[in-house]
Amino acid sequence: MIGRSRWVGYALLSPALLAVGFLILYPLYLVVATSFRQGKTLNVLRLSELPFGLANYRTILASDATWHSVAVTIVYLLGTIGPAFLIGLGAALLLNRTFPGRRWLRSFILLPWAVPGVIVSIVFLWLLDGSFGVVNALLRQAGWLATDLAWFAHDDTALAAVIVPTVWKAYPFFTLTLLAALQAIPASLYEAARVDGATSWQRFRYITWPGIRPSATLAAILNTLWALREFDIIYLTTGGGPDRATETLAVRIYQEAFAFFRMGTASTLGVLTMTIAVLLVLMSMRTIRREYF
Amino acid sequence: MTRSRQWLLALAALAVAAVVLFPIYWMLLTSMLPSELTRSRDPVLLPRLSALSLDAFAAVLARKPVLTWLANSGIVTVGATFISLVISTLAGYSLSRFKSRAQQGAGFVLLVSKMLPSSLIVIPFFIGFSTFGLIDSRWGLIVANAAVGVPFATWLMKGFFDGIPRELELAAMLDGCSGMQAVWYVVLPLSKPGLAACGIYLAIVTWSDFVFARTLVTSPDRWVLTVGMQSFLGEYLVDWSSLMAVGALSLAPVFVLFLLLEPFLVSGMTQGAVAN
Repeated sequence: MIGRSRWVGYALLSPALLAVGFLILYPLYLVVATSFRQGKTLNVLRLSELPFGLANYRTILASDATWHSVAVTIVYLLGTIGPAFLIGLGAALLLNRTFPGRRWLRSFILLPWAVPGVIVSIVFLWLLDGSFGVVNALLRQAGWLATDLAWFAHDDTALAAVIVPTVWKAYPFFTLTLLAALQAIPASLYEAARVDGATSWQRFRYITWPGIRPSATLAAILNTLWALREFDIIYLTTGGGPDRATETLAVRIYQEAFAFFRMGTASTLGVLTMTIAVLLVLMSMRTIRREYF
Repeated sequence: MTRSRQWLLALAALAVAAVVLFPIYWMLLTSMLPSELTRSRDPVLLPRLSALSLDAFAAVLARKPVLTWLANSGIVTVGATFISLVISTLAGYSLSRFKSRAQQGAGFVLLVSKMLPSSLIVIPFFIGFSTFGLIDSRWGLIVANAAVGVPFATWLMKGFFDGIPRELELAAMLDGCSGMQAVWYVVLPLSKPGLAACGIYLAIVTWSDFVFARTLVTSPDRWVLTVGMQSFLGEYLVDWSSLMAVGALSLAPVFVLFLLLEPFLVSGMTQGAVAN
């Protein structure tokens, strides 16, 4: 321990405080400040010359496109978290058993977590390609598909098509968290249940599930926040299209700012997104505090 | 559990791994097969080994500045990881040893920074960097990536330092070490695994970054791999073999890093650290 003084503690902390202050908190402030600037400009240095007022909020809250984006975001979140949780839980239950080669198989099953979003996007664009995609080829061979369905280009299928790669990248996080929780359950509980003649479903229902439920809830919350932020996959595969079918809030913000140069409305949408995130966190604060801090 | 039951479980896990890694397999296969086999309406799932070649890799290296992108990605990743790691090691040690209000504040900032979409945080970065002339500079990209890494890396390092008993430092100081020496000779060597895990995590995140690189850098000679890959998608006829070859090249370091990191993730999770 260096000295006893609190000042040493703060001195060590100061570079991080500076980084967080200048590069997280100040940008946050800038987003809020920009959200009151009306109009558009190609020169961001002159943003502060734009008129100040609530017009952006009126436009954004009255716009159908906004609520459409909110709806798309909710469907995207639910469509991602449910399947990712089930796949993640299944994999965790399997990896919690002992078998030869477990160390390596565990690494491979968790690998999608680390795959960069851009690579996820290009691989799934290719897998789900209309004419030459291997998924369509397999579906045609099985007789389930007659046409060359371009999954990412159709209004009806695009949202499902962006959810699939997101699930692929998201499930390892559930596996990882649930695996840790499973390993913390004492084996003696299972022994006792076996002696008492419990079925495997009863063992899951009364020992495994209560043991992993807090971690599962926390993982679901964190994964929801992650999916709310997710941008790379949707932007690269569909760009929010076709006809806004996959335009989540995170994608819409970027398009407003860097395709239409409307920094003001983009920031307003950003404030809206942050509000949703804060509401999510507040709703789950009790679980987070119990598990996280 | 009987022996045969164990092998059955291994087989099941192998099947799961095969299904979930199929996209990666398909990427590698596409990059190593001639395009008349991949641009086919009935692609072969298991081609003969003799059909595989590295031609697409050679072709794309000759046609696109892949090595420049690779170098840029490398520079930005090493720079941002180093800066983030130094800052968050100091901060993590401070949070672990000096109990203060900063502790609760740090938890809150961590949560907030986890909630922000990168497509949102890039807007103020773009505005601020324009003011300071950091647009289209590798330094700007390094700073942006380092900044977003600090909160979580600090939290990770605090967790690792919490696992090293204070008594070790006190004992070293009783033996005549100064406070600095105690940290340098006792604490840091013990936290090597933590530093490694944290550094690898930061490197993977920076290597994967797309939004910052796409928005804050404009000249093609400063593009990183992720932006380079995106440029393939804009072409009229996407050259999938070449694109998958670049994808495979950029996944290789991540793959190696992840194999090193994975044991820490599994044990770190048990201690309550959460990475996403």
